[in-house]
Amino acid sequence: MASPVIGYGARTPPSPRGVRAAVGRVLRVGVVVSAALLLTGYVVGLVAEPGAFASHAVEQAHLAGRAKFPHSLVGVWDGIGHGSGEAIIVAGVLILILTPVAGLVTSAVAFSRRRDWLFAAISVAVLSVIFGSFVAGWLSA
Amino acid sequence: MSDCTYNSDRMCIVTMVELSSVLFGVSVLAGALGSLLGLGGGFVIVPVLTLVFHLDIRLAIGTSIVAVVATSSAGAARNVTESITNLRVATFLALATTVGALTGAELAGVFDARFLFALFGTVLAVSGVQMLRKRPAQVVGEAVPDKDLVLMAAGREGRAGGGGRLADRLALHSAYDDEAEGLRVPYVVANTGLGLGLMYLAGILSGLLGIGSGVLKVPAMDLAMHIPMKVSTATSNLLIGLTAAASAVVYFARGDIDPLIAGPVAIGILIGATQGSRWLSSIRADRLRVLFVTVLGLVAVEMIWKGIG
Repeated sequence: MASPVIGYGARTPPSPRGVRAAVGRVLRVGVVVSAALLLTGYVVGLVAEPGAFASHAVEQAHLAGRAKFPHSLVGVWDGIGHGSGEAIIVAGVLILILTPVAGLVTSAVAFSRRRDWLFAAISVAVLSVIFGSFVAGWLSA
Repeated sequence: MSDCTYNSDRMCIVTMVELSSVLFGVSVLAGALGSLLGLGGGFVIVPVLTLVFHLDIRLAIGTSIVAVVATSSAGAARNVTESITNLRVATFLALATTVGALTGAELAGVFDARFLFALFGTVLAVSGVQMLRKRPAQVVGEAVPDKDLVLMAAGREGRAGGGGRLADRLALHSAYDDEAEGLRVPYVVANTGLGLGLMYLAGILSGLLGIGSGVLKVPAMDLAMHIPMKVSTATSNLLIGLTAAASAVVYFARGDIDPLIAGPVAIGILIGATQGSRWLSSIRADRLRVLFVTVLGLVAVEMIWKGIG
């Protein structure tokens, strides 16, 4: 054997290069987009809302968790429309939260393209558990 | 902090820019350590937010969940491409960790939290001792018995000595390039069913206590499934992101994710975790093990303290 064997007794090569590259790419894009939004939001906030960001002290109300900030999709969307730095940061956080899920969707697609139906099915099963907890959590929140 | 004022609790009130700068710095460190060791970084973030800044625990946990997702995504972006992460193992075990986290959330309040903390701490302490004991057995790369290496190199059919039938069927065995050793390290995965069960328990505990998913996942892969240390931490890194993403949405909808606190933390973590995954490629596996066990020991002491304190 000239080249090292990947895996052992495997019918399909474990996570072929194409699957890994695709998942890695999606994760990288998610991380970069999210980081860009987080930074933009912070800079916009410093410039446009110095009251919230820079000048005044962190109030007791904030530390106790009673401060108001967007925590619904509508709130984030409206906030971005008004050029709110906080809303842009939340959008960045949301992209970040969805990044691992996007990676899983990518691996489901990539595994099925390779006709690795078992791992495509396992990916879809994990996705449905995550989606289920999304829905359950959203309804109970 | 020249313009530091004090509130009624004699606590120094800092400006938001000062708060974010400190959080950013702490998060770079937490991200680097977290992505290197396959942990979420919450064990660093939560104490800083609650003990130093007296932040409401609800916001601290919301921030910590974002930190876990950030550590995972930034670390995995590199580790998956570099094939240190075993994507098949991660996908398969994610079945157990996600269902476990859901079960844990459902069971919240059923068990005495102090008993759970003490139990959790004890399990961690025992795992740490076992992981250190395993150390001398590793010469080249990790614990792949010579006969398996020979078999694998020959590409022969049949069952690997150290591997499991389920792992054969799922084609979980793989190899990774160890930059520190300058070698391609092949490995066989053992006890997949046991690993799946342990991941379910780890998921339940992390769902119940809101912490410590990675500190249980790495020992489970290392000790039970015989997965090399580097692959264990990289695979745990991917797994914790999936579990945390599922619960992060809940925290967001509840209003537990404060952009002014989670924002600087997320940026710091993304930078730190990217660097941490570079270190994972170049660190020697035995040093990684010692570093992991050290952190494991600290977390174990903290948990036992919470349990009996």
